[in-house]
Amino acid sequence: MNKVASWSEEEVSLWLTDQGLQEYSEALRNSNGPALLSLTTDDFKRSPLSRVTSDGGCLLLEKIETLKIEHHIDIHKNGHANGHMVLNHDGNAGSAGKAQHNGMVNGFHKEPVQIPIPEPASPQFPPEWGKTGVALVYALCCFVLTTVIISVVHERVPPKEASPPLPDKFFDFFDRVEWAFTICEINGMILMVLWIIQLSLLKHKSIVGRRFFFIVGTLYLYRCITMYITTLPVPGMHFRCSPKLYGDWESQMRRVMKMIAGGGLTITGSHNMCGDYLYSGHTVMLTLTYLFMKEYAPRRFWWYHWSCWALCAVGVFCILLAHDHYTIDVVVAYFITTRLFWWYHTMANQQALKETSQTNFFTHVWWYRFFRYLENNVPTAVPRSYQKPFSWQSLHWGHVKYTRIDSD
Amino acid sequence: MAASHLLDDREDDGPNGSCQVMVMMEERTHPQATPCGNQVDDKPKSTKRLQGFRKALRKNQDYSRISKPSSSQLPSEWWKTGIAFIWAGFNLVLTTVMITVVNERVPDKSVSPPLPDKFFDYIPRVEWAFSVTEVNGMILVALWFVQWLFLKHRAIVGRRFFFLQGMLYLYRIVTMYITTLPVPSMHMDCAPKLYNDSHGKIKRVLQLVSGGGLSITGSHLLCGDFLYSGHTVMLTLTFLFIQEYSPRSCKWRCYHGFCGLLSATGVVCILVAHEHYSVDVVVAYFITSRLFYWYHTMANNQALRDSPHNYLNRTWWNWVFNFLEKNVKTPVPCTFSWPLSLPYVCFKNPCKSYSMVQSARDE
Repeated sequence: MNKVASWSEEEVSLWLTDQGLQEYSEALRNSNGPALLSLTTDDFKRSPLSRVTSDGGCLLLEKIETLKIEHHIDIHKNGHANGHMVLNHDGNAGSAGKAQHNGMVNGFHKEPVQIPIPEPASPQFPPEWGKTGVALVYALCCFVLTTVIISVVHERVPPKEASPPLPDKFFDFFDRVEWAFTICEINGMILMVLWIIQLSLLKHKSIVGRRFFFIVGTLYLYRCITMYITTLPVPGMHFRCSPKLYGDWESQMRRVMKMIAGGGLTITGSHNMCGDYLYSGHTVMLTLTYLFMKEYAPRRFWWYHWSCWALCAVGVFCILLAHDHYTIDVVVAYFITTRLFWWYHTMANQQALKETSQTNFFTHVWWYRFFRYLENNVPTAVPRSYQKPFSWQSLHWGHVKYTRIDSD
Repeated sequence: MAASHLLDDREDDGPNGSCQVMVMMEERTHPQATPCGNQVDDKPKSTKRLQGFRKALRKNQDYSRISKPSSSQLPSEWWKTGIAFIWAGFNLVLTTVMITVVNERVPDKSVSPPLPDKFFDYIPRVEWAFSVTEVNGMILVALWFVQWLFLKHRAIVGRRFFFLQGMLYLYRIVTMYITTLPVPSMHMDCAPKLYNDSHGKIKRVLQLVSGGGLSITGSHLLCGDFLYSGHTVMLTLTFLFIQEYSPRSCKWRCYHGFCGLLSATGVVCILVAHEHYSVDVVVAYFITSRLFYWYHTMANNQALRDSPHNYLNRTWWNWVFNFLEKNVKTPVPCTFSWPLSLPYVCFKNPCKSYSMVQSARDE
């Protein structure tokens, strides 16, 4: 870019034409750059300029001022020409000078100006698979502990003949239906599979998975305690409890392994131990998977929510119908599961409740520190976004894409 | 006229050199002023200035009101407390009726022996332990009652206590009814079953209510109310309330510790006396503490009530909570006051009255 001071007469003339001030080209045809810059109002009072000017040269003088400023700015730029020079000073002033990107005649060119917009800091949800691993280990420990405790409690269950089933209101109204428990377990398995699929499709699966493992683990831990301290007798005479193995550790171990391998389900034939009545693990799994599925599925899939609810409700009802648990077991399990789930999620979603304070009683629970460890870096409620489990790009299904902007 | 009078004051003041208070010049009548500027009134000049000052203040209302979080944010609303009280009373009576019903269904000791319980395996029964529990319970209730009387916001706190107590007893009704546990120990003598004798049953209900369900008063003869333990509920709940609504200084911490000890001892003695299964006590403690924490967190965090991520409002009693706590906007501060407010002429108003300002206002 040449400075105005080094413009030749031709360039001056071209510039005047560009600016729409052709009337001066004739009068200033002998002026070069410095001459142009040195024009003052007095010059316009004398001929030849006085004859061609209509406003005393004001407009031209303004434009000269602007030119000076523009060039001043250009000089001070870091060598980056954002815009296009009005004049192409390479010699082919005529055509090249006029050939501009936007094709504006008067030299008014459009410079796209970069306005840096600070992007609103989107909350970051670090995956932290390590923490999910810890939660998984915790859940597995609790499962194993539960199985061991069931095995221990089994030894203490009073025989049916000595201690008949306790009176239960539900059993008074509904007689036993044999195949009902199978329905319950099938429902449980369907819900579990659906939940696993949903979890694998979630974008923030590590965080949600961590929560699931923690809550399941804690519920089973509580269950260990309640099962162990008081042993309820079998709820129905139809139970066939496997024989007691007094002190035979090896067989007890084998029994524990068998139960873990079968997932504690009667369908798989792994659950023929008695005594694990208060409270019902089947209810816990049904309710918890339903709560999680409802929480982390898009709101508009109402049919999905309703069908999961139906599966859960039917499953729980069938437990009672099969006389496989007392009513109290199911009620307590439902209560504990829902309360723990809501408690955890309320704490997790409100930053204010994660800190101890005088008004925050939620931190008085014994698992508060573990909770802080797991949820420390989760800033807000986890959004329900989905993606294919093993692909690069995330697919925001619930989200309209603005293609013109997004594709840039 | 008035303005000139003031100016006259200043002129006459020359030799004194006292400071002048520049008061807003406005029209006012001064009875003693005379056009010629001679002071014919008897009042000294300072009084006149004071009067002028007062009147100016009154007219301009230059003082601004600084509001403190006061009764408007924590309205008493005794009628809500009354409703909560009725709710608690209703549940108490219903519990008693339910115990009477359940007593009919408890299986006989010979048919259904006591269930195996880990605590009972280790600790044999001690006979007088249950009296310890009940004495502790009565002490705690009395302490709480006295503390409650002296709380300033006793309407709000009382409402909370009655509501929680009612809820816990309601849950207890449900758990007692649906499954009936056998007696925990062979020493228990249950009152005989009155199969269709409704008269007798009603008498039993009344006896239970009047005795408060305590065996000390001889009203605890019925069996079947094992899951979960009402004694544990009362011990835990009174302790939690005592701890929450008292100051947290060092001296008071001793008091909390003492109450905690009473509560814990009482609970352990229930088990030592083989009056309840361990699971009854554990479940009772769990439900009481969780409900207390839940309610109070909801009540104390105003932001939580409007938040979309509040799962606490999914409980079935959320609408009752909103009804009771709608106008309570801040956490209840721990302030004490005399239970009976005597008419204020009886004592000196503790607030120092700035008489110049106040009496100017009162005029």
